[in-house]
Amino acid sequence: MTIPRLLGYGLGGGLIATGFAGLIADARHTDPLGWALWFGGVIAAHDAVLVPLVLLTGVAVGRLRRPSPVRAGLTIAALLSFVALPMVAGIGRRADNPSLLPLDYGRNLLVVLSLIALGTALTAIAGRLRARRRRC
Amino acid sequence: MARDFAVRRRIETLARSIPGRFTSTLHSEKVAARLGVWLGIGFTVAFVTGLFSHFMQHPPAWAAWPSGPVDLYRVTQGLHVIGGLATIPLLFAKLWTVYPKLWQWPPFRSLSHAVERALVLVLVGGALFQAITGLLNISYAYLWPFSFTAAHYWTAYLLYGALVIHVVNEWAKVRRALWTKERVEPPHEVTARRRFLGTVAAASGLTVLFTVGETVAPLSRLAVLAPRNPRIGPQGLPVNKSAAAAGVTTVIRDPGYRLTVTGAVRTPLSLTYADLLRLPQHTVRLPISCVEGWSVEAEWSGIRLRDLAEMAGVAPDAVLTVESLEKGGSYRSSEVRPPHWNDPLTLLALRVGGAPLAPDHGFPVRLIAPNRPGVLQTKWVSKVVAA
Repeated sequence: MTIPRLLGYGLGGGLIATGFAGLIADARHTDPLGWALWFGGVIAAHDAVLVPLVLLTGVAVGRLRRPSPVRAGLTIAALLSFVALPMVAGIGRRADNPSLLPLDYGRNLLVVLSLIALGTALTAIAGRLRARRRRC
Repeated sequence: MARDFAVRRRIETLARSIPGRFTSTLHSEKVAARLGVWLGIGFTVAFVTGLFSHFMQHPPAWAAWPSGPVDLYRVTQGLHVIGGLATIPLLFAKLWTVYPKLWQWPPFRSLSHAVERALVLVLVGGALFQAITGLLNISYAYLWPFSFTAAHYWTAYLLYGALVIHVVNEWAKVRRALWTKERVEPPHEVTARRRFLGTVAAASGLTVLFTVGETVAPLSRLAVLAPRNPRIGPQGLPVNKSAAAAGVTTVIRDPGYRLTVTGAVRTPLSLTYADLLRLPQHTVRLPISCVEGWSVEAEWSGIRLRDLAEMAGVAPDAVLTVESLEKGGSYRSSEVRPPHWNDPLTLLALRVGGAPLAPDHGFPVRLIAPNRPGVLQTKWVSKVVAA
């Protein structure tokens, strides 16, 4: 084993040990059981729910004649929706503070998704036109 | 017995066949390496700026943060939050790319392989945990039993440690994938890869475009998916904790209000609101830079903290504690060390944008100092204690 490799393992291992030690030592704030449920929960939700859904959608889109624009459009739409979801759900709204989550995020997300759909449609039409010209 | 054996054989055959069912050429080392490099940069920026923010809020006794550049914290925390949002698309793309490896068979080839996979679990879990808790936290959805700051802080060490080890393990593959010219790579694979990476980069870029306006004012109209708009709030400024939430709505209107300066002072002071207005007023343009990533600049007027300390005869190396009328809460007081309170920009502000502070902005008096997290810009100030 080379020296840089050993140094890397030492540094990485040290940081991981620091993290676990902190999580346990600061148990009053980190709630190790709750933390572990969240840590495992996000992995399970991602690997067992989110990715299989993405894969199924991918299979369905793959059956289209020209899947690439739709695939790209759906990918961007899904990723932006994920980021916007907590805002749209508005869980954090508080009556005493209207400056928290002040916008109509449902409407805004719809506008963004419509723009993505428009971009996708234009790309798909452009691709089809190019293919037809090549055939002529 | 024989039947058990046959069933086990069939399960094993099925398990072995799973990775091969992912036929997309995008589940490749070349894609994973590129996304990995982008993510590595994103996580490094988040880790460094996150530690910066943590130690700014909890400085060790020997540390003395400078009070400038004025916008330093605004920039680092903006990078932390907006950069963090930008890594979310990269993270999901990377995990999708390497997903077939989750189903590798046999799951563990050796002890060292088992350790490596356990560390990848820490890496994946840490990355998802940080991204999702961070996203929920800036949208004020506290759906967990732990303190966000404590959990996000300690998990950062786990994530970054696992990342360092992962980089050490994968570095040879990254070099091979990025810096070795391949003689024959089918053109459709190159096209597919560019298209995929372009799509992911677009998602990341659009995430930034639709949120960065919460800290970059000229883009605020585009911040349609950001949890804050820097122009919306009382007096055109967002608020984190309202006067109602702090339970100070009546006590701030008390005519008996006094601002006191006590502790290690030559002459203790006790000043009414009218006394404060009679002291020399100064006007500064300073940002409120929230730990949640939004920031906004405003014109504050009031008394220099330095002038007040001088009036009371505070030693120039004293540490001041500014206390709020708020009864509890983790941010009811904050420490102002010498570099900050000696800075002429540091005010006990009475007005913002020319008008007396709104209750939600800290009426009658709030602290405003350069290069300082918003949570430490104490509102509803009634006491300055020198030590």
